[in-house]
Amino acid sequence: MAFVLPRAAVVPSLPLKARLTPLAFQLQARSRNVSARRTIISSAASPATEPEPERLHKPQPSRRKPLSAEQKKYLDKALRVNQAGELAATLIYTAQMPPINKAYPHLRPLMKHMYDQEAGHFKKFNELLAKHRIRPTAMYPLWQAAATFLGWSTAAMGREAAMACTEAVETEIGEHYNGQVRELLTWMTDMENRGEEVGEELRLLIEDIRRIRDEELEHLDHAVQNDAKEANPYELLTGVIRTGCRGAIWVSEKV
Amino acid sequence: MALRNVLRTPASIRPLLLQPPRVLYHSYEHDIPPPYRDAESAILSSAIAHVPALGFTQETLTLGAKDAGYLDISTNLFPKGAFELVKYHLVTQRLALKDRIQFPGEQTGVGRKVRSLVLERLRANADADVVRRWQEALALMSLAENIPASLRELSALSDEIWFLAGDVSVDTSWYTKRASLSGIYAATEVYQTTDQSTDFRDTELFLDRRLEDLRVVGGAVGNTLQWVGFQGGALVNLMRSKGVRI
Repeated sequence: MAFVLPRAAVVPSLPLKARLTPLAFQLQARSRNVSARRTIISSAASPATEPEPERLHKPQPSRRKPLSAEQKKYLDKALRVNQAGELAATLIYTAQMPPINKAYPHLRPLMKHMYDQEAGHFKKFNELLAKHRIRPTAMYPLWQAAATFLGWSTAAMGREAAMACTEAVETEIGEHYNGQVRELLTWMTDMENRGEEVGEELRLLIEDIRRIRDEELEHLDHAVQNDAKEANPYELLTGVIRTGCRGAIWVSEKV
Repeated sequence: MALRNVLRTPASIRPLLLQPPRVLYHSYEHDIPPPYRDAESAILSSAIAHVPALGFTQETLTLGAKDAGYLDISTNLFPKGAFELVKYHLVTQRLALKDRIQFPGEQTGVGRKVRSLVLERLRANADADVVRRWQEALALMSLAENIPASLRELSALSDEIWFLAGDVSVDTSWYTKRASLSGIYAATEVYQTTDQSTDFRDTELFLDRRLEDLRVVGGAVGNTLQWVGFQGGALVNLMRSKGVRI
């Protein structure tokens, strides 16, 4: 008599694939650590869903507790990247304006308006870096050359390409600022929950970055309204520019 | 950090072996935390007082520890030995610079302020009476294991001097200014160790010559780059005026 035990009844006491090899375990642990510790975050979430604490709009008493070392490191990296981003934006517009204004004079006021706003942002971040003694990125001359080349080449490809370049850069920068604003607002809510004062410095910083983020998204809207999506190698162009921006952000954080 | 040093340090002060991180984002709502904790600060400040007599040596550290009321073995808190004493002098003098000299009016230019700050820092060496022992300190700083820390202190001093002089540039010149000032300061400090004139007047003249060199060379490089930029822009504009669509 053959007595066959049904498979389901056999419950192994040990998991069949018991353990990872030591190397596999280490790699898994390292990848988990890296994703948890990424300092600059991007957020594609809409600004409309951001928290809006009332403390943000009222002058604050000065802090009793200093910022932690991680918070200072975050601010150091964030402001350095922001300054590099605004440098690139001003140079892109400076390079784009002559050919675009010559071929499409009706775009002159728009280009000037966007350039003036970027110049204002750049000045703001320069002041912040000097005030808080933050080192600017060492890739400064490289970003100067790259941004000028990017502006000039997209303007040479035409109006739609220039607008697509603006759209790609502003999308990346908008997401980047979104992430920063969310991070800083999280700090603010944590401080409120712990009963600490937020301090004027942090409050003004959050307000400034929010205002700058709003203006960048406004530029994004202008670019799309001006036929950015009509650019001929649209996917390739925007893909390359967005990847370049992400790479530049990553490098400027470190160097 | 060698296990040996950890085990040799008395248990009560072992936590002090952890180094505090560098200051990155300078906040105006708080004073910067003191660079040395109480025990370290007590030992090193008493040791510094003996440097003019005994030089930068392990013996000075031990004497300082005894004066501050700690056991001799507490010098294991300083694994790099006499170099820690040198570093203490560098750090405390750098942080004291803003209290030693202020610029009330807005008249003096950045260049003159940099000169005054460098001279004040050199005068601090003289006031602490370490100038005739400073060659020992330089020798310690140039040991391979100490070079990174020494260079970090030199660049921190250079950054501090430019900040106190009111420099607000945050482009590539941030790096070139600090690098050149580090070189000038290091050279002047070495010169000061051999200077026998009254009130270190020769050192002042040496510094003036170095700053003049920097002005001339820096100006020449800047002007050349500007000229090249103008030529490039002019070429592009010329081609555009001829109808080339670039």
